[in-house]
Amino acid sequence: MSERFNQISPSEFFYRNRDLAGFSNPTRSLYTAVREFVENSLDACDQNGILPDVKLTIKPINPDSADPRLYRLTVSDNGPGIESAHVPLAFGTVLYGSKFGLKQARGMFGLGATMAILYGQITANKPVTVSSSTDGQTSDDFEILLDIQKNKPIIQRHAISETASRGLEVGIVLLGDYSKAGVKIRDYVYQTSLITPYATISFDDPKDNVYRYKRILDEMPKPPTLINPHPHGVDVETIRRMVAESVPQIPPLADTSELFAALRFRNHTAKLDTILAKAKAKHTWKRIGQQNRLMISLMAALQRTPKDMADIRIDEIDMASEQIHYYDLRQGKAHSAEIPDMDPFRSHLRSIYAGEMLQTFLTGRFQRVGARTAERFSEFAGFKPEKRMGTMTNQDLVRLSDSLQRYGDFISPDPSCLAPLGPEPLEKGLQKFFEPDFLSVVQRSASAYSGFPFVVEMGIAYGGNIQSRGIKAYRFANRIPLLYDEGSDVVLKVIHDIDWSRYKVKQDAPLVVASHICSTRIPYKTVGKENVADRPEIERELKLALQYLARRLSGYMSKRGKAEAAKKRANLYAKYMPLISQFCTELAGYEKEPQYTALFKADTMEKK
Amino acid sequence: MAARSRAARKQDDILKILKEHGARIYNDLNTGSFPNFEIPSRSVRNIVYDEKLRQYVLGGSSATRSSKNTAQLRSFTQLMWLAFFANRLTQEKKSSTLRDVYYSSQAFAVDFDGQSESDNIIVDLEAILSKPREDMHIFPEERSSVFGDLNIEYTVPGYEGKRMNLANHPDGYAIGPSLTSADFIDTGAEMVIAIEKGGLFTRFVEEQVDKKFKAIIVDTGGQAPRSTRTLLRRLHEELSLPVIILTDGDVYGEHIAMVIKSGSANAAHLRELTVPDAKWVGVWASDIERYDLPTIPMTASDIKRCHDLQKDPRYSHGIWRRELKVFLRIKRKAELEAFSKYGLTNITDRYLPHKIELARSL
Repeated sequence: MSERFNQISPSEFFYRNRDLAGFSNPTRSLYTAVREFVENSLDACDQNGILPDVKLTIKPINPDSADPRLYRLTVSDNGPGIESAHVPLAFGTVLYGSKFGLKQARGMFGLGATMAILYGQITANKPVTVSSSTDGQTSDDFEILLDIQKNKPIIQRHAISETASRGLEVGIVLLGDYSKAGVKIRDYVYQTSLITPYATISFDDPKDNVYRYKRILDEMPKPPTLINPHPHGVDVETIRRMVAESVPQIPPLADTSELFAALRFRNHTAKLDTILAKAKAKHTWKRIGQQNRLMISLMAALQRTPKDMADIRIDEIDMASEQIHYYDLRQGKAHSAEIPDMDPFRSHLRSIYAGEMLQTFLTGRFQRVGARTAERFSEFAGFKPEKRMGTMTNQDLVRLSDSLQRYGDFISPDPSCLAPLGPEPLEKGLQKFFEPDFLSVVQRSASAYSGFPFVVEMGIAYGGNIQSRGIKAYRFANRIPLLYDEGSDVVLKVIHDIDWSRYKVKQDAPLVVASHICSTRIPYKTVGKENVADRPEIERELKLALQYLARRLSGYMSKRGKAEAAKKRANLYAKYMPLISQFCTELAGYEKEPQYTALFKADTMEKK
Repeated sequence: MAARSRAARKQDDILKILKEHGARIYNDLNTGSFPNFEIPSRSVRNIVYDEKLRQYVLGGSSATRSSKNTAQLRSFTQLMWLAFFANRLTQEKKSSTLRDVYYSSQAFAVDFDGQSESDNIIVDLEAILSKPREDMHIFPEERSSVFGDLNIEYTVPGYEGKRMNLANHPDGYAIGPSLTSADFIDTGAEMVIAIEKGGLFTRFVEEQVDKKFKAIIVDTGGQAPRSTRTLLRRLHEELSLPVIILTDGDVYGEHIAMVIKSGSANAAHLRELTVPDAKWVGVWASDIERYDLPTIPMTASDIKRCHDLQKDPRYSHGIWRRELKVFLRIKRKAELEAFSKYGLTNITDRYLPHKIELARSL
């Protein structure tokens, strides 16, 4: 772990790479910002079992200007809100090192939304406005700018007001091009409401058109459970983070009052030596707790008083090279300090950062790994089960990661971390949207590709209100509509590979296929996350789902074909029989026409 | 008066058959079954040569056109309408053409995609009834002519009982509906000469062939229309007049004569359009050499036609076979007008008497 990647602040890193996150131009940026905020809102509601009510507003700052121009984008929800104290950190910093737990969510919390805030700040130089209420009575209203270099929030305004409802409202000003992005944004809102039938979503657009999709279902789908990753599903970077997470968190350095309380010091300006001497005493050292022992050891290593500690942010404690990397907030500079030979402080740091044993690491932090599997795997990978994680070199980690991929005896992944929509909600959504003549949905059982569990659900709708001709595909991944890069998507490939004529479906049939892939990691083809790569396992599940639905559709089509043929027959009889009757009556020299109506009625019945 | 009743009998006959079909279909509808028509198949496989009748006839196979089958319902209705329409035409003694029929259908909400479809339905009805469309007052548009000492009496409305001698007008009389349906009263003629070309017909009238040879002269105008063939048959059957045929000296002329004699495969579903005893007297291929006629070379399609006709059983014997062989040998042909090389009247003064003489021995 000697590599240095922390020389620039995370926010600066993300800003430099904004193209990757979908903020390459005003059109794409407006669309991406909408997505990020709407998805954050939906995730927040989902995770708290709240039926979402999301309002999206996009208004030009100056209505007389031309695109691309500045827009105010506001998204509000009825979610849990964010505690006042956490608001500046949540919206004014780029969070680094998110959770490693595995469960399906629309996106990684915060990252994209913070990018949108950053993009807005750069293009419009306006703060993000946040109104958050956790109790439905008072609301904390913030205006926050982001200090990109320091990755710190600058609170420009904080006020408390009364409110009638709980939830979060986030607003940014950004450079956008609605005339170009409008179609995609409207599609996005439309399709999101299709795949989220338990949500009410409204969109007030720059031309004051309001698109409102009311919830169809009053029941939330089963929430996913948070579970550990499957061994096949982690790469070396993830393992590195998991190891880092297995050691105690670096304590918040600004707050030292607890430390003095633990040491029973009244004098908060005590000298460093006095503090260290007191702490070193065996009975004190035992008593003060893990967090404080770590804090004091760091103070000893860096030779800083509690007060001085508030001026730095510790980025990494690297025991392999016995160095501490930290960032001096006052100087705005990164530093590295060697850990001096001062016991018990250095040995204490060492023992903390030696970390867990490999066996404990495997059984405790992965799913489907028990003691025996861990032992066998350790042998397979060439490690002692007692090997301390903190002592692993980069080469060790790469070998561990490779072995985790190659080891063939892990049980397949646990799908309980997935949140498919479920066949009934999907069916109701499609029913409401298209009122089709025929509708069928299917949910495949869980499967896995390279260690990631996934579930495919799919619906097929024919006729009714479907206006489009030919097969129209709606693609969803983790309840997010995929709108760009349609051509190269695996779902489209599967649809095109099917010989539809075998299922009695004509080229210009009014047909909708809605496909939803749920996975803890969707294998997107590109960083834009708009098309799914054709992994054979996923392709197979999609194909089986579609074939099942196509068979059902085929049954309907042949019934419909028969009914149409009978109708056509009846029409032909209705057209020609009166003529035949009229002509033969005159030809035979009769006055009255024959009684023929019963004839072809009986015939059409019999043919059915 | 026996002749007078002929046209009326024919009309009664067709009306009776049409009414029978109408009553049958009416009865089917009334008793809860789907009516259909049995149509003799006119496919090549079902056309056979009848040695006894000396013409092509249809074999035994037929197809059912059912009103139950939705794929056939439309054409069944068209057929039904045509029978109905033919009934009206016959009763009202109104004549019409194939084209008239096509347009008339539109007044009855019976749709035809085009005249070729309605023409086909007319042939279907002919085959079902075994009656030519002329009997149903549907006549061809092309007209040929007749000249000679024949008294006729019209039966068409407005002219009933009116008589006419067909030698009264030197241009001849057009063989139209009224002449076709007229009754023959009497004649001074002793033979019928059918000639392929209008120019020669006029020459024959000018040269008084009708008087010199006691002949009725018929211009077939190329391939003889059906009404002309019917007229030739009636002249032969009703008045016992022998029929001789003069055509150009080429393979097409030979076939024009053959069609008058024994009909065509297209009309295999009909009888009474042929004159089996008619004799083709020229111009033969062998005449070209014998009379030293000016010639033109046969074309590739002439030669191909010769080979095609050699496969036809009717050309497998007698002069028919012999002359085809000569055509193929000399590969040249001559028109009737070629005799003008020896003077305009050479054909009537020299050639015709010679051929009439020859016909007696054929």
